[in-house]
Amino acid sequence: MATDSLVRDLTRITAPDRVLSSPEDLMLYEYDALSSRQAPQAVVFPESTQEVAAIVKLAARLGVPVVARGAGTGLSGGAVVTEGGLVLSLARMKKILEIDFENLRARVQPGVVNLDLTLAVADQGYCYVPDPSSQKACTLGGNVAENSGGPHTLCSGVTTNHVLGLEVVLPDGGVIRTGGKYWDRPGYDLTGLLVGSEGTLGIVTEIIVRLTRRPDDVKTLLAIYDRVADATATVAAVTARGITPAALEMMDGFTLRAIEAATHAGYPLDSAAVLLLEVEGLKEEVDEAALALDTVARENHAREVRTARTAEERDLLWRGRKNAFGAMGRLSPNFYVQDGVIPRTRLVEMLDYIGEVEQRFGQRVGNIFHAGDGNLHPLIMFDARNPEEQRRTLLAAEAIITKCVELGGSITGEHGVGIEKNELMPLTFSEDDLGLMRRIKAVFNPQGTLNPGKVLPSGKMCGELRIQVS
Amino acid sequence: MSRATVGTETDFAAIVGESRVSADTATCAGFAVDGVRPHCVVYAASAEQVAEVLRCAASHELAVIPSRNGTKLAIGNPPRRYDVALSLKDMNRVWYYEPDDLVVSVEPGMKFGDLQHFLGRHNLWVPLDPAGGERASVGGLLAANAAGPLRLHFGGPRDMVLGMKIATVDGKVVKTGGRVVKNVAGYDLAKLLIGSYGTLGVIVEATFKLYPRVVERATWLVEPASLATTRSLRRDILRSPLRPLRMTLLNAGAQALLKGEEPGPDRLPGAAGFQVWIEAGGSERVIARYSSELGALGAKLGAPLRRIEDDIAAKIWEPIADFGVWLTREKQVPVILRAAMPIAAAEEFLERAEREAQTENCAVAGIVQLGVGVVELGLVSDRDPRPELIASLRHSATSLGGNLAVTRCPAELKAQIEVWGPPGDDFEVMRKLKAAWDPRNTLSPGRFFGGV
Repeated sequence: MATDSLVRDLTRITAPDRVLSSPEDLMLYEYDALSSRQAPQAVVFPESTQEVAAIVKLAARLGVPVVARGAGTGLSGGAVVTEGGLVLSLARMKKILEIDFENLRARVQPGVVNLDLTLAVADQGYCYVPDPSSQKACTLGGNVAENSGGPHTLCSGVTTNHVLGLEVVLPDGGVIRTGGKYWDRPGYDLTGLLVGSEGTLGIVTEIIVRLTRRPDDVKTLLAIYDRVADATATVAAVTARGITPAALEMMDGFTLRAIEAATHAGYPLDSAAVLLLEVEGLKEEVDEAALALDTVARENHAREVRTARTAEERDLLWRGRKNAFGAMGRLSPNFYVQDGVIPRTRLVEMLDYIGEVEQRFGQRVGNIFHAGDGNLHPLIMFDARNPEEQRRTLLAAEAIITKCVELGGSITGEHGVGIEKNELMPLTFSEDDLGLMRRIKAVFNPQGTLNPGKVLPSGKMCGELRIQVS
Repeated sequence: MSRATVGTETDFAAIVGESRVSADTATCAGFAVDGVRPHCVVYAASAEQVAEVLRCAASHELAVIPSRNGTKLAIGNPPRRYDVALSLKDMNRVWYYEPDDLVVSVEPGMKFGDLQHFLGRHNLWVPLDPAGGERASVGGLLAANAAGPLRLHFGGPRDMVLGMKIATVDGKVVKTGGRVVKNVAGYDLAKLLIGSYGTLGVIVEATFKLYPRVVERATWLVEPASLATTRSLRRDILRSPLRPLRMTLLNAGAQALLKGEEPGPDRLPGAAGFQVWIEAGGSERVIARYSSELGALGAKLGAPLRRIEDDIAAKIWEPIADFGVWLTREKQVPVILRAAMPIAAAEEFLERAEREAQTENCAVAGIVQLGVGVVELGLVSDRDPRPELIASLRHSATSLGGNLAVTRCPAELKAQIEVWGPPGDDFEVMRKLKAAWDPRNTLSPGRFFGGV
């Protein structure tokens, strides 16, 4: 498809200044937070569902692939072009359409930034629960596509637990509404299927989410350890004792020294690991749970347990955690973050294994985990200018993911499959499982024009990770 | 018996064993759905057997309805065809249990009560209070998405299922999700199966996220003078930092039936007198906080709060959670409706329903899952309510932004009404999904939404 005529047709649908086609502009859209691929033929910024539908219809007629994109903060290549075509950016569809406190719902466009929704309802005492670390930038549409999590999803669930309805543009340009403001509309739960489908089934143009009353009280604790094994033992003990913290994060000494250097969060530089624990609820519940956590941590040889005394202290502790990935840039020119999940009872075993992987491949690994739900983010350090290091990094990552599956876990907890792990899907799904997913994809996206090459394995390669770092 | 099934019985026997296929008339009658009897009953004992039975049935163009105890089989349109009852009663094993990781995987025929009992050893549970209660099967409560009032605090089945194995009509057992609490690998097909009423595939294993049991609980009763007061109370509680486990509103009709009065339009009181039951969990200090704050909210509205003793509370919550099934089983109430709508519309819907039913000489026993938006109604009258009444109640639910399904009614009435209500603009996709899973319409044909 000649780009010139594509651009001409697009400008008949939207204003000319909402279509990008110059090489300098397109270059920015080669990337997401994982890696860079290729530049799209054009980028278009629709401002309404009708425009999205018209663009999708045009693309279908021309046989041009369409890749929906929010803020481009994804970590699995979901929003980058792999087979040419069009990037459909939802960045301009960023209106909060309705806030309905009495029904505890909000209706938003997909380009609304995650944190902006919480800020819009905060003064009335509400929030939107799922809080990915990129929440200052990432969009709710992207969250829906990836079924995003975040540190606070331990007790309150991930995106799918907070989305009740969608408006969706299908690849033929048709528009449907799924679910609604309430649970239990009869019929199949299309909303539940679409959340986490990574833009391969439809383009979401409106989202109905649950709003949650902010808790009465919150307490954040930092437990400091001289041995990593004591920190992991604490995690197991917390789960086994039936305490459900709102968040339970773990960082190893190597990682937290990097974070401390970058954000001055007050993390102890000489420790082997820390746990960041948070409890929320009624003041009485929080006092009890915080005391229980303090006890469990000390029983498992925490050197010290600090409790944030003020909101500022709490924010500081969290700032360190949420800016962790950025801070790692100080240690290494590049790093590759993994997203495997393991049963929480296997944490000790997994950490030992990651240690072995470090030795075997000679690449340093920093460990930062959503420990409470078994979701690991090992950060493998490397220098992309060195092809040998790149090779070893991929092998190390693959070994870690394979181990997660062996331990009964998953290849991805919240970052998505995208183009990064689609060839690894056979590690965890049989040909029959994948065959059914293909049939379901074909119901929505029979021509495969929507976000091609993502999620499902191509069958052309045999089980390898794909990143390409520029 | 039709000729088609005579030959296939041997085929089914080859899959599950001769003693596990029955064409006995009385046995088949026990599996009748809306008066339609199957030609044979097949008892499957494993996921693979279920898949093989489905494949075999599909290849002979036979229709299959899976079930366990049948607590929810009355829900749905009359089956368009029904040849084989697939009983899952022998599939009640626990496949995987890791109490320290808070995960369990079980077979669909396991009774929910047995599962809770099993988990109780480690002080764990699946925090659901489904219709059918302890007798509900795991497969059935998932297929019917049977969330009770506990959804207010914990969410519903869709929020607790981590993965599934599903037998499909092409003879495969497919997996979706997994056994870890966070997982975004592949499409989430478990969501499609939950609430699909046995029309896509048969759930042969389900993995649940587990929760620590709430041991210390307390129940309070508030008796607001009017629905307006009830509405204010619900609003105030949801706006407060309190997070009760469940809250239910009972109208006078529901109270009368729960008190043991026999149903009858003239014996059920009119539209006055409401009860709001509230349950919360936590330590003594936490319960004391609930007592004082709920008490203050009630007092502000002139509706005093009363703490109910635990044993009495346990007796009331069971039929409340199981209301739709309980009304039929214990009180022989013939027509049960379930409406779902935005949280704030539910009280008004109950009010309208009472009024509309009254003009038809019909009394309403109604409960509202406050804060959830689900209303269950039993219609009590001397004769079957007219289809126009169902239509008008549905109109009320729709105009309040919700919908209404008839979950139980006599066959004659069912023939004259829409069980599920009208489909929306996403129905075409649902129809295509059904065809992708079940191209020959083998599973529960015609029973679901839009005649799927």
